Amino acid sequence: MKGYRKWTKRAVSLGLAALLTLSASGCSGGGDPDGGSSSGGGDEKLTISFGALDNLTEEQWGTEFHQFFMDKFNIEWDFNYIEWASWDEMMRVWINSGDLPDVSIWNYNYTDAENYSKQGLLYKFPDDWKERWPNAAMAYEASPLNTQLEEKFGGTYVMLRPTYVYHAQTDPIVNQIGVIGIRKDWAEAVGFEIKDAYTVDEILEFARLVKEQDPGNLGSSLIPICFDPANALTCFVSSNSRHSRIETAFYKDENGEYQWGPADESVLETLKIYQQAYREGLLDPEFYLLNDNDKDKFYINGTVAVYHMGGVAEFRQTVDTEMRNNLRLNSDDVVHEAILLGNDEKYHNIILGSNYWSSLIFSPDISEENFERIMDLIDWTCTEEGQTICNMGIEGVDWEYQDGEAVSILPEDTSLLDKYGPRVESVYILEDDFAVVNPSIKEEYRNRMNGLAQLKLDHGEGKYDEIDWDQEFHVSRAKDRVQFNYGEEYANLIVQEGDLETNWNSWVEDKMPLVQEYLDELNSTY
Amino acid sequence: MRRLGKEIWKNRAVYIILLPGLVWFFVFAYMPMGGLTLAFKEFNASMGIWGSPWVGFENFRDLFHDPAFMESVWRTLAINIGKLIVTFPVPVVLALLFNELRMRRYSKVLQTVFTFPNFLSWVITSGIIINILSNTGLVNGIFQAMGFDAVNFLGSEKMFIPMLYLSEIWKTAGWSAIIYMASITGIDAEQYEAAQLDGASRFQMMRYITLPSIASTIMVMFILAAGNLMTSSFDQVFNLSNAATRDAAEVLDMYIYRITFQSSTDFSFSTAASLFRSVLNMILLLAADWGAKRMGGTGLFGQRGGGKHEKQKA
Repeated sequence: MKGYRKWTKRAVSLGLAALLTLSASGCSGGGDPDGGSSSGGGDEKLTISFGALDNLTEEQWGTEFHQFFMDKFNIEWDFNYIEWASWDEMMRVWINSGDLPDVSIWNYNYTDAENYSKQGLLYKFPDDWKERWPNAAMAYEASPLNTQLEEKFGGTYVMLRPTYVYHAQTDPIVNQIGVIGIRKDWAEAVGFEIKDAYTVDEILEFARLVKEQDPGNLGSSLIPICFDPANALTCFVSSNSRHSRIETAFYKDENGEYQWGPADESVLETLKIYQQAYREGLLDPEFYLLNDNDKDKFYINGTVAVYHMGGVAEFRQTVDTEMRNNLRLNSDDVVHEAILLGNDEKYHNIILGSNYWSSLIFSPDISEENFERIMDLIDWTCTEEGQTICNMGIEGVDWEYQDGEAVSILPEDTSLLDKYGPRVESVYILEDDFAVVNPSIKEEYRNRMNGLAQLKLDHGEGKYDEIDWDQEFHVSRAKDRVQFNYGEEYANLIVQEGDLETNWNSWVEDKMPLVQEYLDELNSTY
Repeated sequence: MRRLGKEIWKNRAVYIILLPGLVWFFVFAYMPMGGLTLAFKEFNASMGIWGSPWVGFENFRDLFHDPAFMESVWRTLAINIGKLIVTFPVPVVLALLFNELRMRRYSKVLQTVFTFPNFLSWVITSGIIINILSNTGLVNGIFQAMGFDAVNFLGSEKMFIPMLYLSEIWKTAGWSAIIYMASITGIDAEQYEAAQLDGASRFQMMRYITLPSIASTIMVMFILAAGNLMTSSFDQVFNLSNAATRDAAEVLDMYIYRITFQSSTDFSFSTAASLFRSVLNMILLLAADWGAKRMGGTGLFGQRGGGKHEKQKA
């Protein structure tokens, strides 16, 4: 009996050890060398891995819209959801470890793009790709930066996603930031004038009136102004000061010398307004905890008087649908959109010079079949037919032609997003382009947003910052080290105790060693 | 060598059980150390870690040139020394108190209650803390109901560090107490019986029997904690910090995270920062071990000359 027990103990120990060894070695073993991508002939169903910022449920993938694309291009998606908050990290890890999906949406920056293309970490397009996929090439060329990158890198490695291709709100194109949404019913109740453009001070006055009179009877739930740190930067700081954000922080002054905008007195003046809004309790007391998703407090909770909407008609449509569904309110009665000006009544937010947002990149290990199949899909989505389906849904189900015009037949309280989830197949041209004419978005909203974009130009300074290509294409460690998150930096200054000017001076002083190094580099090079 | 081979063969079952652990250590702890050479290279992903060109101490030169780096080093040290002083004694006290509980069932329930938070991730724990302490949270709700103004807990740099300590205690004290309780279990019961006969009170027994008996465990845990003085709980700091507290929260791990992922990719630079942290941690660990031995306690590897002493005894 004793011997049996001893033998059993040994057997169990050996078994356990073997199991642990196997599991440990299993961890270090390689995975499927194909990385989930099958290869095959043109008629074969291909599995395409795709990294994108949207998440779809199984149910949504099974809907008619997504099925349409899978059937049309004979593909199956191996979908990799990337969380917005970890987008940059995730992509850096994927790219550097060789785990990039076949195609991904990447937050382009020049330094990384140059390094990655030099190191062969991105797929290089065949030289004749523009002839083979002419619609995609046409959309690609809508962003002038694409052509410049191609020249710099000696081929196509990155496809910047164009904002506008067929349609544009204005000429020249203005960026979409700087449009706020306010509660019209509350403005009327407190006797605040409804206008198309407000200065920052006027908006603070409105918030003050709402706080005092509480026309919505919300008590302590009322948030007069709901901006996250990024939107607070746009609305309080950049509205008044041109060189306060990452895109324009380093600029050439009239003497041709590079300067650092955030150290300018004009930024301090705007920060004083920002802090006044915070200390008076006009701004959400915990604005530093908010992110862009918290703007739904305006149209889902109904507790906000002012928020940053953005100048896209689809955003306005979302407000309409959500208010109807959540608050039982007709947004046309209670919401007003306007542009936000500096206190000098000028629009200072920058011009969108390069007409793109984010980019598409491909894995250097992608099979030829997969690349061609994705490019077929991209090319088709860039046609007018493709754009219509991407943005309006399935013909006969979501829309139909009436008198030669495409007309939405979706029920009023339903959106394509509710029905299908994110339409990730619309992978290249941004939906902003079609939103200018999209019949499934109320015409009044489209016209309104186009009108506000024009108003930005009308209130412009007459002279807009052009992209400084020298700086855009400059690559150095000194540059990397001054990529500050200004939204967070300013928010931190605002909530700090003590005198703002003293805190700002010490902040500038802290940053200066790194900033000066970069300024010296720029001034000695260009 | 032959003797060693014989010894291994004799205890082969034990060594086989040890094998997976050794494999794990080799694969996951020692092999990645090769990557530390990146600190002296300019990383090029297509050339890999081994093929990337050497740049000497260039990454370290740039690192020390960044004022944010040294600030994060001092901040990490300050926070962690404070943490050691504030949080380290709590599990010891907790274990002593558990040991004094006479109702075993009640003691088990309390142990479970105190240990449970350890199994929650920092993402969840931080979510709970943020909900409780936010402007519209439980604590401020009570304050306001009592007629006081709401307190800005989450946006205050002054409150950030106390919040780190308190949340650390709430999450880990119960779990850490288990080690001391295990040590207490090993104390010879006859010592307590003899003390009782001598008329010692419970506090005296705790003071003169329990505490000295677990002193070596406390010392080992202290040395291990001192060896981590340059390492912060990244998950905790990352999840509890926000734009308002970013300055107070930029400890070395957060700095490394920021330079690795939030500006352009520069793995060599961030590896240099990591290597610097590891070297400092090792120095602190050895210093604490040396200090413990100088004070007459046992170090990580036993008292100086302990082996010889035991041999003589044998």
